[in-house]
Amino acid sequence: MSVVATAPPGQTRTRRRQPRRFAQAIPYLLPAAILYGWFLLYPIIDSVRLSFQEWNGFRNSPRQWVGLDNYKRLFTADPVFWKAATNSLIWVVLSLAVPMILSLLLALALNRKMRGRNLFRSIFYIPAVFASITVAAMWSWIYNPNFGALNQTLEAIGLGSLKHSWLGEPKIAFYAIFVASIWQGVGFNMVLFLAGLQQVPNDLVEAAKIDGASAWQRFWVVVMPALRPTTVVVIILTIINSLKVFDLIVGMTAGGPAQSSQVLALWSYTQSFSNHTFGQGGATATVLLIMSLCLVVPYLAWSMKGDEK
Amino acid sequence: MTAAPAAPAAPATPAAAIPALPPTTAAVPRRRKRRDYVGIALWISLAISSLLWALPFVFMFLTSVKSKKDISQRPTWYLPTEWMWSNYTDAIETGNLWGTGTNSLIISVIKVPLGLFLAALAAYAIARIRFKRYKLALGLFAAGAMVPIQIGLGPLFSTMLSLNLLDTRWGLLLPYLAFGIPYQMFMLYGFFRAIPDELEESAQLDGAGRFRQFWQICLPLAKPALAALFILDFVATWNEYAMATTLLQSKTNWTIPVAVQGFSGQHSTSYGPLNAFIIMSAVPVLIVYLMFQRYFVQGAFAGAIKG
Repeated sequence: MSVVATAPPGQTRTRRRQPRRFAQAIPYLLPAAILYGWFLLYPIIDSVRLSFQEWNGFRNSPRQWVGLDNYKRLFTADPVFWKAATNSLIWVVLSLAVPMILSLLLALALNRKMRGRNLFRSIFYIPAVFASITVAAMWSWIYNPNFGALNQTLEAIGLGSLKHSWLGEPKIAFYAIFVASIWQGVGFNMVLFLAGLQQVPNDLVEAAKIDGASAWQRFWVVVMPALRPTTVVVIILTIINSLKVFDLIVGMTAGGPAQSSQVLALWSYTQSFSNHTFGQGGATATVLLIMSLCLVVPYLAWSMKGDEK
Repeated sequence: MTAAPAAPAAPATPAAAIPALPPTTAAVPRRRKRRDYVGIALWISLAISSLLWALPFVFMFLTSVKSKKDISQRPTWYLPTEWMWSNYTDAIETGNLWGTGTNSLIISVIKVPLGLFLAALAAYAIARIRFKRYKLALGLFAAGAMVPIQIGLGPLFSTMLSLNLLDTRWGLLLPYLAFGIPYQMFMLYGFFRAIPDELEESAQLDGAGRFRQFWQICLPLAKPALAALFILDFVATWNEYAMATTLLQSKTNWTIPVAVQGFSGQHSTSYGPLNAFIIMSAVPVLIVYLMFQRYFVQGAFAGAIKG
């Protein structure tokens, strides 16, 4: 929020000190700034305002100030909120562990020259161009308890006892959705890592080899440091995308069964658009905003420091 | 499987080994051989995992050409007893594929180039005109790329309601433009920043104005980034669901992802047409992907992603 608050004074000072440069920049900046301010920045700020109000989403009904009531209800009388917040955090942690390491391994493997390399890369990448809502439909079908491929395969190989109603059991549904997200998300991170690997200085790797460094040592001492900027980008994108998860859950369980796969992004939406309590939705969104900013601001600071060098 | 691993330096296949293998010491070939085993193991595990990765597509396709009877009575991985291509025509009709496809196409075709152009203008201003406090402007823009869109959905709905743009094409296009700008601006900023000042100075001496410097020098130099951002943005726009489902209400205005969700909600038992619909809904992004594939698959993306 501090970023937002300091904007106006900064800009006025600019105008006073360097009128010509800033005047030149205005026509280039203005179209993007208007769109961005009106349809992104303002809605986000308004979400915070909405969290102190009550509104049912109808044009003619007024918004009423209710102070901290929405937050009180959220923190004390809404068990789904806590479930959703925990799930969002679990999703972030799991995404940082499983798909990220998987995509790094794939990138390292597919950085070697080999037969069919481009085909392999394509196969791992293509799920990423499918809409998440589509992926949700595909995996709902795979998870179908009666006709789905997963249960049928388990049955066929004699593991029928492992059959589950994958999306119907509260303990499993959330993780079943996560598996679909791994399938969809690994390819994109792999491409980012592959791009980063192009920047690893080859002569350094060769030099380390001549010096007798093992593959493991070469990886930690030469490759990983060169990959650091890419890794930071991947980590941040992974965190943001994890907090954003919405389509997959809407398409596979809509947060159920019994809200067991609920996440903050979807809970905020459900409160606003299904329950018509836009204030509650705003409060949930504000919690999500604070979570995102806590993770983003350090990154912004880091990337700008790199810019000065 | 015989000539599986072609490790970078090792001419392992006989054909390649024949021409000019220098008479090296005995130790070197032995080392090469050992590396080949690693390569073979790696290749086999990659082949297995990519097969696994492709399986959902196989299931999807097989289901899309099966009759109801086949689906309920025979395992998923069996070939259909009769090929039900009519599932595809059914899906086109019940899912109103042409209507929703046209909506999606119109929005993507306007949004992607226009949004990229506006982001490039802003990135140029911040990277090249370098007014004071350009960093603040950069930070303000970039912050938008880092926030989940669902945070603003409620107020966005309320804004569109008061602008009378709810359930219209414009009402979707405007926020789409806004949500694409931050990320693209941030990426292009890095690119424009790296352009040496001398290039612009010499253009200035030749009498080129600001806009010509932008249009004829900076934009062409950023081509690889623009291409990468184009495909990313096209895919993201074509696939966007959360905003579309919030801001569009009448079926005639639906975009493809809303239609996919609507289809699977309404026809959840007609698996054949549902899978056919899913396959067809992804055709445009697959075409765009294949067109720009080299940027992704061959690491040409490197320059476009700023560390």
